[in-house]
This record gives sequence, structure tokens and C-alpha cells, in this order.
Amino acid sequence: MNKAELLKSMREAIVAGDRGAAASLAAEAVRAGLDPAEVVETGYVPGIQRVGELWEQGEYFLPELISSAEAMKSAMAVLEPELRSRRIETRPGGRIVIGTVEGDIHDIGKNLVASMLQAAGYEVFDLGADVKLERFIEEAEKTGARTICLSALLTTTMSNQKRFIGLLREKGLREKYRVLVGGAPASRKWADEIGADGYAENAVAAVKLVKSLEPGGGA
Amino acid sequence: MSAPLLELARSRTVLFDGALGTELLARGLPRGTPPEAWNIERPDLVREVHAAYFAAGSDVVSTNSFGGSPIKLAAHGLERRAHELNRAAARLAREAAPAGRFVAGSIGPTGKFLKPQGEYAPEEFAAAFAEQASGLADGGADVLIVETQYDLREALAAVRGARSASDLPVLVTMTFNSFPRGYFTLMGDTVIRAAAELEQAGALAVGANCTLNSEQMVGCVRALREATALPLVAQANAGQPVVAADGRISYSQGLDDYVRFVPGIVAAGAGFIGGCCGTDPSYIRAMARAIRKEHS
Repeated sequence: MNKAELLKSMREAIVAGDRGAAASLAAEAVRAGLDPAEVVETGYVPGIQRVGELWEQGEYFLPELISSAEAMKSAMAVLEPELRSRRIETRPGGRIVIGTVEGDIHDIGKNLVASMLQAAGYEVFDLGADVKLERFIEEAEKTGARTICLSALLTTTMSNQKRFIGLLREKGLREKYRVLVGGAPASRKWADEIGADGYAENAVAAVKLVKSLEPGGGA
Repeated sequence: MSAPLLELARSRTVLFDGALGTELLARGLPRGTPPEAWNIERPDLVREVHAAYFAAGSDVVSTNSFGGSPIKLAAHGLERRAHELNRAAARLAREAAPAGRFVAGSIGPTGKFLKPQGEYAPEEFAAAFAEQASGLADGGADVLIVETQYDLREALAAVRGARSASDLPVLVTMTFNSFPRGYFTLMGDTVIRAAAELEQAGALAVGANCTLNSEQMVGCVRALREATALPLVAQANAGQPVVAADGRISYSQGLDDYVRFVPGIVAAGAGFIGGCCGTDPSYIRAMARAIRKEHS
């Protein structure tokens, strides 16, 4: 397989959600001595972007999205040691803390956002569900993440997203972090009202949002 | 099967109730407490909500057991009390029900995924739902309603589990999203496939609830009617939640706008209608008036 064919197969493996193919193609690229960063950017990332389009068009649903994210992870598991040995970070500064706010045990949407962000090359620190607000800050301080994503499925727990912004202000840390909110009852209007930095309606939109907020990301 | 509630639906539109969880929150259910815990701790308040819906005109109310499968209750460490909490849920609704009205034992999703997306096998789901159904049956439910299902495989496991544990008729509502190509669940199940497989599994009525507002529900019921001859259930949301500056929650579709589409939902083929998120007894009262007008 020449390089162009290899890149095309990588894209197809992600779109098909084929974990085995995604990993073996990554291994083949490593053996052929290809630049791992280029392979990610021109082989795998266009695949996950296509999956996002298919989801937005209502052609793909949750099972396909999860399979594709898993395929992406399996390819990245092969490529990450290569990237590291060449001292290339998949996304410089791309560390993200995510979790469902306290009082709320719903984690399906949050898990999906976490895996799509991972698939897009971010280093994701997932705190799970029913997470105390202070924990988000502790984890971000510890890992050096600058983006914190808060999920809430219930109208009764979404107020914790607002409380979190207040907590950051109290601690004098509001300017240090980008706070993004999501979940069924959240909306762009809600994000504006509570002074969050962004809102995404679904996992695909969340990746776009995070990218757009990166320095030079075209926000 | 001759079931009095399904018999009733043959002669006229049957009215379910509206949202339950928010009514309990309005009565002080603390955040983070599963509503099912109140079946034991605050039975008076649970009964009060059911009574308010019956007073508003509900023919049938759904029990306070939406999150009552042992798998869901495990998130609160209450899985061992599943039978007790579900039996209590059905009893409370039964106690609130005037003569001739009905109790539907509510069975919501586990909140977990089946393999390969999740860790569970369908038999594990079915066993959990069977335990829940047995509690609801012991407490005196007239029918079981498997509701808000976003994965057809989970809904089918629920029907299997429910039928293995009791002889009660099983109604099923799936949660569909509206796309340009039609109505699909989160997992991509179509209306046609859901209706066909649920019927084959033994559901005696199928339908849609949650997510769609009452205007969108008209189209979804039409699609369901084309897909099956079974009686149809429709319980629409009152639009989307909106949070005011003071933190109070309201829903984007007000009462009048919501009720405006109720005759359309009935005309599209729904034999059972009711409310979902954002609805309360005032919606049910207005829906009862709208249905009666239809019939006079």
C-alpha cells in the first residue's frame, strides 16, 4: 500500500468504526517510517470529521459514533509512543477536565463528549459523574488543563454549572480556565447568562467548540 | 388479551398523567435523592401528586418508579430494595386511584448501555426489569409501561423481563428525535422497526414520549400509525427547558400552545395521550377538556 492508499484506508477505518483495521494501519505507518503527526492529521482526523458530519446529518447514530471513537483510540494507542519519542504532542496544551456535576449521575452524554475529544487528540481527564465542584478545580490545577467541561442532564443540577463559575471567581481563577457547559437542559443562552465560555449541543459540536477556542483556532 | 385499560382505549381516548419528578421536587425532594426513595420516606407526598393528576382528569397515572430497576437504583446503593420500592410505588398510586381509574407501573431505562457500547448483556437487563416488574405487579399495577426507551434492544429486554415476571399487559414508549429523514432513537432505531419488534415481543401498545414537543408529536404518531395497528401512546414534552435569570425553570412550549396540538395527536391515531417533561396537572386538565371536546 502506498502512502496515499494508506491514508485513505485510515480514514475509511474510522468511518467504518473498524478498530482492528485502524490499529493495524497505524502499525503499518510506523513500520514504513511515516511521520506520525502527518498520519494523524491527514489520515485519521479527516475520518473522525466525516463521522461528525454523518452524525449531524442524522445518518450516523450513537453506536456508530462510539465505534468510530473507539477505532480512533486504538489507532492513537499505536501512534502515541511514536509521537512522544519524537517529542510531538498530539495537541499542545490540549488537556481537558470533564465530568458531570454533583447531584447528577447521568454520564452517557458526558462519556461521549470525552471519547470524541480523545478521538480528536486531546488529553482528557474524566472525573466521572456526581463530581464535587471543587474536584474540577483540583484536577485542572494538578494536570495543567485549561479547559473544564461540565455536564448536567437535569434542570435541577444545571444550576451547579452556574455555581462553578462563581466558585472560580471566588478563588480568583476565573480568567485561568475556559469553562464549557453541556447537557440536555443547557443552551447557548444559558451559557451566556452564567458567564461560561461556551456551550455545545452534542459531542461533535463539543470538539468543534474546543478547537475554535484554541489560540488561533478561528473562534 | 382482555385488559380493562385497553378496552377503555377502544371506546375513547385515554388520558395519562404528566411529569412526576418535577412535582416531587416542588414538594421538597432533595437534590440527589432518587424519587423512588420517597415511596417509603414520604408516601403522603407521592400519593398527593397522583391524586392531583386523577383530580385533573387522568384515567391512568404512572407510578413513581421510573428509575426503579435494580441497575439504576445501584447508583444510589438501593439495588437490594428494588422490589420493595417498586411495590410501594404501585401501592401508592393504587391508594390514590378512584374506582375505575388505572395504575401503570413505570419502567424507565437503566441508564447503562448494552454490549458492545456498554458492559451489560441483554439477559442482565431483562433480569433487572423482571425484578422491577414483579414489585410493581405485587403492588397492584394494572399495566406496565416501559418508557423513554432510546435503545430498542433495551426496550425489548424490558418487555421480555416484564412478561417473565407478570401477566400484566405491557405498553412501551420509545423516545424519538426528529430528523429530516424521519424519527429515530438515540441509537438509530426507526419507528417501523421499533413498532414491529415490540409487537412481536408482546407489547400490547406502543408509542413515543419525551424530547418531542406536542407539535412534533403529531408527525411522530402519524409515522407510528403507518407502522403498526397496535394502540398508540403519545406523551410529548412541553418544549425545551428554559432557565430564567433567577434560576427558575420553565418550558418553551406554554400550556395553550401545547394543548393546541392535542387534537392533532389524537387524530393522528393516539389512543393514549399524556404529558412528559414540563407538564403538570394544569396541562392534564386542559388536555381532558380538549379530548372531551373532540368526543362531543
